[in-house]
Amino acid sequence: MKRKIVALVLVFAVLVPLSAVYGAETIKIGALYTMTGRGGQYGKDSEVAIKMALDEVNAKGLPGGAKLDVIITDDKNPQYAVSVAKRYITDDKCKFLFGIISSAIGLAVTEVSKENKVIFVGSDHAATDLTANKFQKYYFRSSNNTFQSMMAGAYYLKDEVKNWKKIAYIGPDYAYGRDQWMELKWGLDKLGVKYEVVGEYWPKLYEPDYTSYITAIMKASPDILVNGMWGGDTVSFIKQAKPYGLFGKMKYFHVDAGGNYEAMAALGDDMPEGIIMSARHHNNWPDTPANKAYVEKFYKAAGRYPSYAASGAYAGILLIAEAIRKVGNADDTEALIKALEGMKIQLPEDPPGFTSYIDPKTHQIVQVQAIGTTVKNDKFPPAKYMLGNFKIYPADKLWPSFEYIDYMIKVKGK
Amino acid sequence: MKKLKDYLPWVCYFIFFLGILIVNPGTHYIHLVARVIILSLYAVAFNLLYGTTGLVSFGHALFYGIGAYITGMLVKATGPEFFLLFIVIGAAGAALVSVFIGLLTLRLTGIYFTMLTLAFAQLAWGLTFKLYHFTGGDDGIQAIAKPEMLTGGVTKYYLFSFVVVTICMYILWRIRRSPFGSVLNCIRQNPQRITFLGLNVYKNQLKAFVISAFFAGVAGGLYAGLDGSIHPDMLHWPTSGNAILMATIGGMGTFFGPVVGSGILTGLETIVGKYTEYWSFSIGVVVLIVVLLFPRGVLGIKHLAGNKNKEEKETEVVCNS
Amino acid sequence: MDIGTFIAQFISGLSVAMLLFLVASGLTLIFGVVNVLNFAHGSFYLLGTYFTYQLMQMFNNFWVGLLVGVIGAGIVGMVIEVLFLRRIYGRDQEGAFQLLMTYAFILIIDDVVKFIWGPEYKTIPKPASLMGSLNLGTTIVPTYNIFIIVVGLLVVLFAWYFLTKTDKGKMVRASSLDRNMLGLLGTNVPLIMTLVFGVATAMGGLAGILAAPLRTVTPGAGVEVIIDSMIVVVIGGFGNFWGALLGALIIGEVLSFGILWMPELATVLTFIVMIIVLIVKPEGLLSKKMVGRK
Repeated sequence: MKRKIVALVLVFAVLVPLSAVYGAETIKIGALYTMTGRGGQYGKDSEVAIKMALDEVNAKGLPGGAKLDVIITDDKNPQYAVSVAKRYITDDKCKFLFGIISSAIGLAVTEVSKENKVIFVGSDHAATDLTANKFQKYYFRSSNNTFQSMMAGAYYLKDEVKNWKKIAYIGPDYAYGRDQWMELKWGLDKLGVKYEVVGEYWPKLYEPDYTSYITAIMKASPDILVNGMWGGDTVSFIKQAKPYGLFGKMKYFHVDAGGNYEAMAALGDDMPEGIIMSARHHNNWPDTPANKAYVEKFYKAAGRYPSYAASGAYAGILLIAEAIRKVGNADDTEALIKALEGMKIQLPEDPPGFTSYIDPKTHQIVQVQAIGTTVKNDKFPPAKYMLGNFKIYPADKLWPSFEYIDYMIKVKGK
Repeated sequence: MKKLKDYLPWVCYFIFFLGILIVNPGTHYIHLVARVIILSLYAVAFNLLYGTTGLVSFGHALFYGIGAYITGMLVKATGPEFFLLFIVIGAAGAALVSVFIGLLTLRLTGIYFTMLTLAFAQLAWGLTFKLYHFTGGDDGIQAIAKPEMLTGGVTKYYLFSFVVVTICMYILWRIRRSPFGSVLNCIRQNPQRITFLGLNVYKNQLKAFVISAFFAGVAGGLYAGLDGSIHPDMLHWPTSGNAILMATIGGMGTFFGPVVGSGILTGLETIVGKYTEYWSFSIGVVVLIVVLLFPRGVLGIKHLAGNKNKEEKETEVVCNS
Repeated sequence: MDIGTFIAQFISGLSVAMLLFLVASGLTLIFGVVNVLNFAHGSFYLLGTYFTYQLMQMFNNFWVGLLVGVIGAGIVGMVIEVLFLRRIYGRDQEGAFQLLMTYAFILIIDDVVKFIWGPEYKTIPKPASLMGSLNLGTTIVPTYNIFIIVVGLLVVLFAWYFLTKTDKGKMVRASSLDRNMLGLLGTNVPLIMTLVFGVATAMGGLAGILAAPLRTVTPGAGVEVIIDSMIVVVIGGFGNFWGALLGALIIGEVLSFGILWMPELATVLTFIVMIIVLIVKPEGLLSKKMVGRK
């Protein structure tokens, strides 16, 4: 009996250290997401999607039996996020930086990525700058930028909306709000559309009360009202504007973040019908098995349907895994960059016949934009309306636009 | 009275902030301590106004931010060769602004003073957002270069910051122990006595205000070089709140209290942020405990609420006799 | 600008002002009577909305939800006052500790709310009786906004009556002038302070619930209202109820017309107004006392 025990102990004594040497390596990704306040929802959704993606990716397997893992920290503010990003690199030995919802934080962390030569896959923040005038080769983005949304929007306004002349814009008073308007106007000008701006309104971000803006807009009487808000601001604005009859008096146009699912869910029956919106991912389009499966899987994991943020996070993990498979390891950064450039990846948001890919020159993911109008649809409770009547805009028509990038360099500098 | 005991805190200071370089626990920790030491200067400068003179300014982020932005924008415009000079210019800019703000706010007392300082800081924050062509708005400014000899690893910049901060802290320490410092202490405890002594409360408060703003500006300029990026958040009210927090947690009645407070707050943020997304709750609980049980801060623990340390007893005698 | 635009902006400014007033009135009441600057006031605004939301999930009745939310916010307020705030009354540098303690409560309550209800946006629908709008010829006013204006005015009238015409009200006003003296006269001052605190936080909750059908229910909503309501209180005068109303009206209308005339400055206008008032009349527009000056 004693010998059996000794033997067992010996076996373990040999096997345990051996497994440590030959065991699976864990490749770490350091992610930063807003987990508190208004953006907290997006952080939470991204967290769920990341877990989903990790399960798929690790099940499919990585070179050398390695496993992919993600550390998520709340990013709080740019200074704090930068110190966490640096910690990820020096202490946690992360091979990739990931995520980030706020463009300001993204801009700060991309410097860390550049300085330390660590690949940073952005998954939510949409400031065009990062794949345009502020491009640096270690940065990739797995969700679309605001230019792609607004350029598609310009096409929509040219082709789908008849007899309009007067246009007004309301957006939160910071870079995101201003950039969308700049991009839409540039797009309209490029397409040769003639328009007259009858008002520009700049409420502060998270403004609780839009009443005075709404009455001013009603008086200005534009044909088209463009809105650049996101999240709770969209919900507040629509709720407050509805009793004034705003949606009957003008065409409402909100194509970067208006059609986000969390806004649909929060508005429920209060959502006006027939307004023009889009989002970076739709739960009900394309109506493909892949998208349906993705949405259902998310629902099972989180108990609710996903907002667009999840799709960017999901895509980002898949991209990284694919790159590691191509290169055979996670250490050769230059090879990984080459692998990511031009990489094609089938994502839930791809309509049949199209595969998303990373543009090699700008490292921006190129996807199809779908703009639609709100129709009654209660298949995704608690939302009572979803988008429908989609008009599709092919990816390469929208990006890259080197003409726009040059314009940005002139206006915003490198 | 220059007892050897008075220099004990300095010894601890040197042991910790220089010792960290000898131990060398890795770039992440050195970066962390760099943040601590720069924020310590901010908190100690603030405490000249708060703990010593008894003025609760809720807008000190303004001076910190001005220092950071002037330094950052000058470096972006002309390069980092004169980095130290730019920090001084930034601090001077903060001091200049503080003259105007001090003139206006110091006419008020108590909560009114606090509110007006908040209003000015928020106005500046709003303007930094709005003047985005100039300041980069909410995108902030990135890629602020360091001077050639400070690049290549955070250790060099840490040493640089350590030297600058220590010089500034020494100046502030001397000020606190000077007759001017005693006057400020008296203003906090018994302003009428000061007037009877023939001194002007308002003028002395203004002096303290400007000195405090200058060194807060130095801290801001130093921070701009640490990560090479600045953001309007540096002027936002939570940054002002942090100054109050650091001074209180560490002990507003002592000189080095804010240094300890800076270490605790920064350390907490980092550690708590690593393990839970509910960091607001954690920090809130810590603040609550400090306010309820340790109002004199960590360095004031041996003197429970109500008792005063020797220095305060002395000034009290002078002020109230 | 034609008369139609003027009326439209004036009425919308009024509606904005009323909601601001409802939040600020609680804040100014607490400062005036209990002498506490309740930086956490926004958290009671928040708690009110979440309590109501929870109740409506179970019973789907706005009015019952409103009652529960208001009472709930009031109770939490009283608990916080008794267990925590009382311990720092009379301290050296009490002002700083009030700021810190109430700041701690913002942090704690925000996370507690997020923990219990999650980070997604929640909705509280308008009661059916208040949907729809009134057409005033040149402009439309939603019925719900009129309701808010009416509630605001009722609150003002009730408070005025209580504080000036009733004995209890007079005691409350007396405590704001001299806590100690009143205590020596035999009045249970701590009880008054707790009750007033509870009433004020209940009002904060009321403001939140009334605003919720127009806005979004989300953690973080509390922090957003606190700075604006502090500006209103400062302009009107700390502790001055009518001042809060005047301050709110000024801010509401300045913003409303500022959007038309100086759209780029709309976001910094409130701070500019606050600074002007603090420089010209720091005790606030309606305060008679020469407080706060040297």
